[in-house]
Amino acid sequence: MREKILKKLANWHTSYPWRMALVVLLLTVIFAAFTRRLSITMRTSDLLPERNPKVIQFNKIIDEFTTATNLIVVVQGEEKRIKEFADKLAPQILETRDTSRNDSLQRQIDKLQKKIDRLKAKEKESKIAELQPEIKTLQSQMNFKLFQRVDYKVDVDFLRNHMLMLIKEDDLKNMKDVFMDPNLIGLLTNLNNSMEKEYVGREESISTREKEDGAVSFLEGIQNLVLNLQKATGDGDISDEEIEIAVDKLLFGEPYALSYDKKALILNAIPNFTLMDRNFIMSSTVAVQAVVDNLLKDFPDVEAGLCGAIPKEHDEQIYALRSFGYTTVIAFIAILLLLMISFRMWVAPVFAVINLMFGVLWALGSAAVVVGQLNMITSMLAVIVLGLGIDFSIHLISGFTERRAAGDTIAVAMESTFLKSGKGIVTGAMTTACAFYALVVSSSRAMKEMGLVTGTGLVAILLATMLCLPVMLVWRERLRDRRRERRKGVERFVERDISFRFLGRAGEWLSKNYAFSIVASIVLSALLIWSASRIRWDYDYRNMEPDVPSIWLLDTIMEKFDLSMDYALVLADDVSESYDLSEKYRELGSVAITEDISVFVPSEEQQKKRIPHIKEVLEKIQSARVKQAVLPGELSVLRDEIGRLEMNIMEMQDMAFIGGQDKVDNKCKEIVGDPENPNSKNIIQDLLQMLYSNVSASARGFSNFQRNFGPYFKESVIRMSSTESIQLEELPVTILDRYSNRTRDQFLITVYPAGSIYDGEFLNKFAADVERVSEKATGMPPLFVALLKIFGRDGRNAIILTLVVVFFLLWVDFKKPGHALMAMIPLALGVFWMVGLMNLTGIQLSMMTVMGLPLIIGIGIDDGVHILHRWRSEGKGKIQIVFSSTGKAIFLTSLTTMFAFGSLMFSAFPGWGMFGGSLFLGVAACFLTTVIILPGILGIIEK
Amino acid sequence: MNKLMISCLIALLLVPALYGQELMGEDIVQKVNDLFNVESGYAKAKMTIVTTSGQKRTFIYDSWSKNKGEKNLVRYLEPRRVKGQATLMLNNADDIWMYFPRTQRVRKLASHAKKQKMQGSDFSYEDMGSGDAFINDFSPKRLKDEKMEGYDCYKLELTRKPDSDVSYSRLIMWVIKENFVPVVIDYYDEDDPTLQEKRLVESDIRVIDDIPTAMKVVMYNKNDNTQTELELLEVKYNITLEDSMFTERGLKK
Repeated sequence: MREKILKKLANWHTSYPWRMALVVLLLTVIFAAFTRRLSITMRTSDLLPERNPKVIQFNKIIDEFTTATNLIVVVQGEEKRIKEFADKLAPQILETRDTSRNDSLQRQIDKLQKKIDRLKAKEKESKIAELQPEIKTLQSQMNFKLFQRVDYKVDVDFLRNHMLMLIKEDDLKNMKDVFMDPNLIGLLTNLNNSMEKEYVGREESISTREKEDGAVSFLEGIQNLVLNLQKATGDGDISDEEIEIAVDKLLFGEPYALSYDKKALILNAIPNFTLMDRNFIMSSTVAVQAVVDNLLKDFPDVEAGLCGAIPKEHDEQIYALRSFGYTTVIAFIAILLLLMISFRMWVAPVFAVINLMFGVLWALGSAAVVVGQLNMITSMLAVIVLGLGIDFSIHLISGFTERRAAGDTIAVAMESTFLKSGKGIVTGAMTTACAFYALVVSSSRAMKEMGLVTGTGLVAILLATMLCLPVMLVWRERLRDRRRERRKGVERFVERDISFRFLGRAGEWLSKNYAFSIVASIVLSALLIWSASRIRWDYDYRNMEPDVPSIWLLDTIMEKFDLSMDYALVLADDVSESYDLSEKYRELGSVAITEDISVFVPSEEQQKKRIPHIKEVLEKIQSARVKQAVLPGELSVLRDEIGRLEMNIMEMQDMAFIGGQDKVDNKCKEIVGDPENPNSKNIIQDLLQMLYSNVSASARGFSNFQRNFGPYFKESVIRMSSTESIQLEELPVTILDRYSNRTRDQFLITVYPAGSIYDGEFLNKFAADVERVSEKATGMPPLFVALLKIFGRDGRNAIILTLVVVFFLLWVDFKKPGHALMAMIPLALGVFWMVGLMNLTGIQLSMMTVMGLPLIIGIGIDDGVHILHRWRSEGKGKIQIVFSSTGKAIFLTSLTTMFAFGSLMFSAFPGWGMFGGSLFLGVAACFLTTVIILPGILGIIEK
Repeated sequence: MNKLMISCLIALLLVPALYGQELMGEDIVQKVNDLFNVESGYAKAKMTIVTTSGQKRTFIYDSWSKNKGEKNLVRYLEPRRVKGQATLMLNNADDIWMYFPRTQRVRKLASHAKKQKMQGSDFSYEDMGSGDAFINDFSPKRLKDEKMEGYDCYKLELTRKPDSDVSYSRLIMWVIKENFVPVVIDYYDEDDPTLQEKRLVESDIRVIDDIPTAMKVVMYNKNDNTQTELELLEVKYNITLEDSMFTERGLKK
């Protein structure tokens, strides 16, 4: 049956080459049309099983919470300048619009309008009513406003009215005194009392990250107050606005999203679209980058870059497409050169490469049909099928040119090639394709799609080789025949011996000295298996990403803000669940901070407990008399309190040093100096010096300050002492949108890790912790851990399954299970050698490289199969011929495959490079095990 | 033949009797407690912590204890920045005072602070069984003996008593048979007895003044993924210490 089909196909090629060319062209047009539908996704969640609960939760969050899709602008420079930059940039980001689709949208609207006009004539009102909303939807997409909000400053309006209700009861008990006196001396006294009570009273208060941040913010308020007092007592020229800012900072903290060293600022732009809207991902990144670049011209001393989910997706798409293109070109050129050198001719290799181009296009088209979308891993499809598909062309060209050189006519040579080489090509291709298809049983989408796409791609390239390449060969031979006829047969085939005799000699020597071959194989295998056992997993997904700002700015955020942007996300069904989960997360050592809505809506019970303290503050502040001046007689009290403040901060600093709380220690250093550096600045001492050196000017300055400070402080505290209960519906939209979905029935908790999630041990711990508290936990860390686990399991299962599939296919092919096993020995050892070599060359196991292991089984089996086939057909005592001829073929096909995979090492995606590198080593390992081990085994059998 | 049978019978009868003489969980915990709560002592120690920004910081300090650990005084020697800073713990670390040489002030930290972390380390004041915590707060149960860290050990499970407010739901302790040093203690979460929070490992055991002493103690905090090393540089037991040492005035000296 197979012979009949192959014979018929060969005949068609020689009898109707133009018709066959037409078929090829037609198929190419069809596949090209499919290819246009192919898209690329670089999201990690697209690699996991669709039904994985973490993927379902993640997609739900992405779908319902626009806040989960963000664009971050990281601004660096001096504090004043970066704040100015941010104030100018935020409104410009809000104004960015997507106009790229206006024309096509307008065309669709016009079409619909014409349809409505026609329906109007037919008076079909109900159909018109159906179309009008469609027009409205399309119109809303025109000049689409890309961003709904830019968060870079705390919305203090809400805090102004409810601040005290938002403070936890314990903290309120300790801090309430601070709010009770609007006069400078009273405030400083209360601050000192509170500080002594606060951090000395409970050491735990600054022992966790959130408390440490609270302490830093509190110290910043004091630092700002001291600096303003210095200014007031110095030149006495301090504006009302400056005093109001000082009060606000004391009461509400720093409003800008500044780093600890105040040299970096984050703007978080929240889009009007989700991560699913590919068009907007691309256009918004380009638009914001343009706005930033334009503004940077006015701020040469400021640096700014984009990161976050949107720019990351944008950069990955761009780099994936770019890498996809040029790695394929590199592979084509490398293969072409190799074939030209080894065949010592140029026409046939050019045909092979043209055939490959058709094949790759067909493979991409078939991928569009079977999966529709290429992911981070299947995007390497072109290079994989290219590396494997070239083998078919090599075999076909070799067979045909051999027959022609032997004097066969075109028709006879083609038929003979199809019958001899074609059978082998089809068997080899189907074995490899079946091995790939075996991956379909995997649970991860990555491995499943990899199996589907590469298996189908290989069949597509096989089809191209059987349909397209013979047409070119027939044309060429007809042309040569005609030329030969014109020259009356002067031109003859030049038969070149292009076998590799050294391989034959080496094979023969090894088979005769089989003991050496076996011992050498065992020693090498033992060494490489030992090396393989030492290989480690690479948990840092950034090692797979291109070197772009959206990736390396994550390090800047980590360094400056001590915050990882790779956080976990959890959905809660109501505010109380959000509160409970958040509390549980905060107790975990692996969690730095959490963000959720419960901070803004304390429970009824909590609010009730806080009311008496708030009332006490309100009573005290309302009855407090605001003094209009600081009397000279009060200066000594003021000095004492300032001195006490200095001591409190010094003690806080010493406690922080012993407690290892570096941020508190560093903030204290900015206020009271570094105890290890006598020349460091102590701003409280400077203020005291001013007070002692110029008493009257100081009294005047303090009085001026007091006059504006007192009333504003009193008014602010009265305002924030509202005892009205806070209800969810009353929260500002900006807060609601950030933490709840549109229907306000789902609430998002963001859980930030306390350590580096790029450290495997911590990553596993963090993921396990967040999952233990809630099974609904998702986000990058839990997804990545799940991915690695599933990949590990899938990889192992896939290896076993492909080995079994390959064994049965070989059993059918060889009809002897012993020979099937023999062909698999070099393959099995080759896999270990591959992992051992990966370890030696510094390639770690990752979600990319682990994909290479089942693939290499499908790819690497060919070498052993070809050698065994030839050995069986040649008979005993022909090992030299087997290895010089077939050895050369497997050497060439291995080299071309290695070149194709090696081209991935030039990719902008290091992940692809690692994948290519591991397969490069894998193919080399399988070739080496075949030419070292098999001669020994064959030698034993022959003996 | 008869002699042999009689010997076997005696051996069989003796086994339960010998087993009855084996130490019970309570006895072992009592011996551990006695070891931990020496009447008085002095130690010079080196402790290495990891700061919140991931840096290692090493402190060297002198410490004195009296009344079986009921009173404790720690005075820092190094680094230079904290030299002279001192902590006084009374009532088995329930009341803690601190002296700051920079401001020359003594402050009382809150009472009931023994559950808190000790100076940024992974130890809490109650981890080391301050007072008779192992006896008063836990019910011991002897498990099957095991080898741990190369020693033949008694293995104990200490479960929190219902009326206790100690921070751990249970402890698993491996006590060296030869000297009753608890070579490893696993601490389990207050609410989840299956969740291990910390592991304490003692090593370099030397006999000082007839008391077996672990010169190196490492606390692994599984929750925070950190560890604190405590190394004893010098140890003396049963020394005479004035009560005045353990006062606010003594703290300032």
